[in-house]
Amino acid sequence: MNSEKKRLYEGMFIINSGLSEDARKKTLERVTKLIEERGGVLKKIHEMGKRRLAYEINKKREGFYYLLYFDFPSKYILEITKELHLNEDLIRFIILKAEEVLEVLEFKSLAAQNY
Amino acid sequence: MAEKLQKNLSKITKTNMSGLGIKNIDYKDIDNLKFFITERGKILPRRITGVSFYFQRKLKNAIKRARHIALLPFVTED
Repeated sequence: MNSEKKRLYEGMFIINSGLSEDARKKTLERVTKLIEERGGVLKKIHEMGKRRLAYEINKKREGFYYLLYFDFPSKYILEITKELHLNEDLIRFIILKAEEVLEVLEFKSLAAQNY
Repeated sequence: MAEKLQKNLSKITKTNMSGLGIKNIDYKDIDNLKFFITERGKILPRRITGVSFYFQRKLKNAIKRARHIALLPFVTED
């Protein structure tokens, strides 16, 4: 088993919408830096923009959504997850194994395919 | 609203899931996931959605992920 082996991951990050644009970019930079420091390679960044949260998190109702695709050594996933939890400007995030990089974030409607 | 949803749902499930061979659903795909939750935000049981066990499990995981990332609510209260 080669534990240094990289695989594709996707991460969705919600950044505090109360921050200024610069601060927001810096927060995102911190995330990308963290990935790159451990030998990760960013493949794609989707900016999903400001969205209303489905429920209140830490008294916040809105957040900036980002979706990142990156190659990353599996070995360090736990490590960056721990570190990301320390970042207070990140409201929430999720990191998952991904099969492929989605170039466009659009999904066909299941209902529409009937007609 | 609920009735309309149910109608759409039966249309979706009867033909698509098995017929068109849709195997996966993404947690980011909230427009489609919304067909499989109640107005309150609960996951509809397989008894009602009529999809295969395999697909229901995919749905369950996708909905739970979407909830974690605040794309879908745990409960809707108005």
